[in-house]
Amino acid sequence: MILTSFLLSGAAAALAAPTASVPAAGSLAGSLAGPSDGTSWTVHAEKVYTSTGETIENALILVKDGKITAITPGVEATRDSISAKVVTAGMVDASARVNTGLTSVEQSSEVTPSIDAKYGIDPFDVRWARLAKSGVTTTFIAPLNQNVVGGMGVILKTAGAADLEKRMVEGADMICGAIGSQPSQRNSPAFGRPTSFYNRRPTTRMGVEWEWRSALFEAGQAAADGAGKDIDVLQDVLAGKIGTFVQAYTTQDIRTAVFLKEEMMKEGFGTMNLVIDCGAEAWKEPDLLTRTNTAVVLPPFPSQGRTRDSALMPLETAKKLRDAGITFALSAHDGSDTAGRIDVQAGLAMRGGLTREEALRAVTITPAQILGIANRAGTVEVGKDADLVLWNGEPFEITSRPVGVLVGGTLALDPR
Amino acid sequence: MKITSTYRTLALGVISAAGLAVSAVAAPQVDKTAVKAGKVITLNGEPIENGVIVIEGGRITAVGPEGDVQIPWDAEVIDQPDMVAFPGFVESHVSRGIDRANETIDVAAFLNVADSIDPVNFYFEEAIRNGILTINVQQGVDTVVAGQGMVVKPFGMTVESMMVKPRAGLTMSAAPKRGKTRATQAQALRGAFEDLKTYLEDMVQRKKDGNNFDRREALYQGREIEGEDAKGRALNSEVWKIDGFELVPRGEVDEKRAPLLAVVEGRMHAFVWCSTPLDVHTALRVAEANGFTKNTTLALGRSCWKAAPKIKEAGVSVILESNLTHVERDPLTGEEKETFVPKVFHDAGIPFALMSSGDANKSLWFQAAQCVANDIPRDAAIAAVTTTPAMILGLEKRVGSIKTGADGQLILMSGDPLSVTSTVQHVIIDGKHVYDRSKDVRVRQLMDGTRPPGTVAEDPADEEWEGDGEGDDGEVSKDDKNG
Repeated sequence: MILTSFLLSGAAAALAAPTASVPAAGSLAGSLAGPSDGTSWTVHAEKVYTSTGETIENALILVKDGKITAITPGVEATRDSISAKVVTAGMVDASARVNTGLTSVEQSSEVTPSIDAKYGIDPFDVRWARLAKSGVTTTFIAPLNQNVVGGMGVILKTAGAADLEKRMVEGADMICGAIGSQPSQRNSPAFGRPTSFYNRRPTTRMGVEWEWRSALFEAGQAAADGAGKDIDVLQDVLAGKIGTFVQAYTTQDIRTAVFLKEEMMKEGFGTMNLVIDCGAEAWKEPDLLTRTNTAVVLPPFPSQGRTRDSALMPLETAKKLRDAGITFALSAHDGSDTAGRIDVQAGLAMRGGLTREEALRAVTITPAQILGIANRAGTVEVGKDADLVLWNGEPFEITSRPVGVLVGGTLALDPR
Repeated sequence: MKITSTYRTLALGVISAAGLAVSAVAAPQVDKTAVKAGKVITLNGEPIENGVIVIEGGRITAVGPEGDVQIPWDAEVIDQPDMVAFPGFVESHVSRGIDRANETIDVAAFLNVADSIDPVNFYFEEAIRNGILTINVQQGVDTVVAGQGMVVKPFGMTVESMMVKPRAGLTMSAAPKRGKTRATQAQALRGAFEDLKTYLEDMVQRKKDGNNFDRREALYQGREIEGEDAKGRALNSEVWKIDGFELVPRGEVDEKRAPLLAVVEGRMHAFVWCSTPLDVHTALRVAEANGFTKNTTLALGRSCWKAAPKIKEAGVSVILESNLTHVERDPLTGEEKETFVPKVFHDAGIPFALMSSGDANKSLWFQAAQCVANDIPRDAAIAAVTTTPAMILGLEKRVGSIKTGADGQLILMSGDPLSVTSTVQHVIIDGKHVYDRSKDVRVRQLMDGTRPPGTVAEDPADEEWEGDGEGDDGEVSKDDKNG
């Protein structure tokens, strides 16, 4: 295929067909190099894996004001450019879990649809830097994973402005929650046996499912207006305007989630837009997931085949989902396991039979699509955010690692 | 002395058997295997394209390009033109494949892991699957002085048939054992050697006084004192001086003390665990004070990279814990600094070996590959999981590389040994084809989830108890659960 330069002529035209004009790379680079506000760079790569199926060789990528403004193939590095063997799009982790943990579990109720993760996020948390250094440039942060219906998640860049509003990315609205053993874990009063009126939280899997069903039914049967914020949110969830991002590791929990969706459809409440988070055993239910067009975010590959809730997640999980035609993304959670970060997850998926291109898509464009931010992130294309990962070898081989990371043009990891 | 003499007999038996095999080349009962591979990475010179390895009687007898090497007419030929032959990986220090790893007593040098190695332990199966063919099994590091380790291969139905090298070193710890502070630990470690010295001096004195307590004790313990054991020799130590030690017949030294004496005299290797840089100083001081620095290897926690200059000065080799990245948080700024530990040792010129992590997907190949990603040359990264641990174990002539005279073992991989997509397809140990991945039912389950034939789904009652609200922390005893 003939590769020509992509020139920016307005952000909207960014994804248009390649233009025919090939400007002299040197002059372009020269004009943009030098002192800048820290979000303009020229990046040279021997190979650019764009996540669109294309590989561009010896490409010079121009970054201006945090956006990719041009990609010129077949040129040498310039004096001012940052060089790398391989460049890919910044990776997107749809289940980054920076702000989850016991301290972020809302205890006042088990169904809290109108709380929002953005009010609990610490932009100075050290885990952002970890994620950015590991090549994750965009994350989806769920408020919690130990509540049943948790609250609204938020899409954030991992570096850049310290201002939370500026780091946020406009994308799909998604409510987060969980099915399975985790929401009922440790659910008991602070002391004594669960006999008190105040011990309301579910203590079994059945209880967890019941909380979901009763909340959704209540919203479905309530008046369209004026029933309160929680009901409003859940009505949008039922209508599919707000996505439902549900943690479900095991087959039974994945079934529960999908059956809930189908039950709500049968009741005439609407078609929920379901995404299974941590779908370790999704490979066991391909028909169910394709039938309901449900996307899956996989948890990190476990060390001996079993992950939380004893869910079996073999290495070929990603390959099986691919074969079944299920949309899936990989995740490394918060990146605190230095030997299990997202590039390693992609590598393990390759060990399980994905091609490099498929593995790349599962950590870039696919999660971007799930999060509704594919217009800004997920590929290396003119007009997109300058979220780039610079590699010192073939991506996802354990013998390579991200050596440079740009997040919206901000150099989060300097390869020089 | 029962155990020790058994091993001596066994070891002699092995040597004489090998001698017989060499002298009787034409004997038809000698197993012969020839492995043909698309590429042979020998780690003893350049890789060989289309290479052949001939194994006779459990030893490699020829390595070279196809055409240069004569394949015996009666050899079993394993022909894999698409695969890469590679020496087995070498695990330099591990406390797996045994019954409980740690002793409660502080100084347990008289114990031997040979008594606790379980040949059918799942760990050995995992090791073969990952191409780890030489394993230094040592007691755990929650100790002051642990028992004697043993180098084994992960194949065989008895400990004896797995043995590569018996009494392959003592593990000690400079880091505090449970219930100890750093000060008491250091004192206990120093004390173990001080006790030994006092004991040996007392022996000499008793001998001078004409007392026969030690001989009687030895006889009571069932140790026969004859041959070399009946002779006395001066202490072979540059640091310790015990006048008159040659008066003491060696066989009279209490078997509880003998392994430590072997360390002091440089006859047994010491593996000293250090979890922090300050432990390194304790370890090196004890080694120096007792003259065993030259036969010491430090097993290091990840923060110990800070002691690299001191380690370099001492000239000892090191074994690095499986987590290779040291993350340190600046107490003032809160920012994290990551240090890739092997790079520090590589740059300092200190010989280092890597350990597997417990993760089935992150075995020694993974550890070496991480080194390459972090700017350690590929050769050095591979050496850290093959030739360097072989050197540390004193087995460089036998394992870690494919060469004439080495043990007849190797692995066949589907591709580059450090590639994320490569897997161990076949394993040859002692010339025997002991592993074929296509027939490994457990690997199938880990890969595609197929349950091994003949097994049933796990009993839900065996699954981890998630809590039922009884009690505050979800922890409920088995009785409560059932009742």
